Amino acid sequence: MDKKPKKFEGEDEIIDIDSGNQLINEKMPRRYQRRRQSQFVPDYIDWKDVDFLKRFTPERGKIMPRRISGVSAKDQRRVATAIKRARAMALIPFVTD
Amino acid sequence: MAEKRVYEVMFIAAPETADEDIAKLNDSITTLIETEGGSIVKLEDMGRRKLAYPINKKNDGYYVLFEIEGSGKEISELERRMRVNDTIMRYLTVRVDEERKTAQKLTDKRESRQKRNNERNKSSASRNEPEEFAAEEAQDIQ
Repeated sequence: MDKKPKKFEGEDEIIDIDSGNQLINEKMPRRYQRRRQSQFVPDYIDWKDVDFLKRFTPERGKIMPRRISGVSAKDQRRVATAIKRARAMALIPFVTD
Repeated sequence: MAEKRVYEVMFIAAPETADEDIAKLNDSITTLIETEGGSIVKLEDMGRRKLAYPINKKNDGYYVLFEIEGSGKEISELERRMRVNDTIMRYLTVRVDEERKTAQKLTDKRESRQKRNNERNKSSASRNEPEEFAAEEAQDIQ
């Protein structure tokens, strides 16, 4: 009979540690959750592929930052140049109000 | 300069130009490229489509895409002609051969790696689990 409550105490402790971690997270919230590799980037980025580039330009038409899209730095550069080319040819807008 | 370069040339013609004029324009570009020593790989008529933002107070444009292989000399001549031409509202030339080459390299690398991994998995699986076991397992699942 004595052993069982001890076990429960141990479990309680674990939960406490968990909730403690949660408290720390609440104090310092990460503004952006990293969505690692949520976007698939093909080897060749076609600047004429409007549907693909639209995924990196949310409503406003700005280029989605890397911390949100979660692509690698190299891919981000390639996507950015493709978007700029498409903008020059009026395939996608510079800004939408 | 010895190797051939591949370019994508896209231009937007004014939307009110007649289809015959577009065809004439395309023909003249083709002959120009061929006389300069290049060759047309692809000619894609994308037709009239809405512009994402107005250009020269126009909301539509006639898009044509060329894929040209050559040394680069014919591109400079073509760009000069397009600048002079009033029906062409905008053009863009992009050299694509190098980007394609690097992309192909990436694809090849990934494929070979995948192949190697598959082979490794297959060999390790056959060593640990003989096929009979795998068959039994499949029967159990059924």
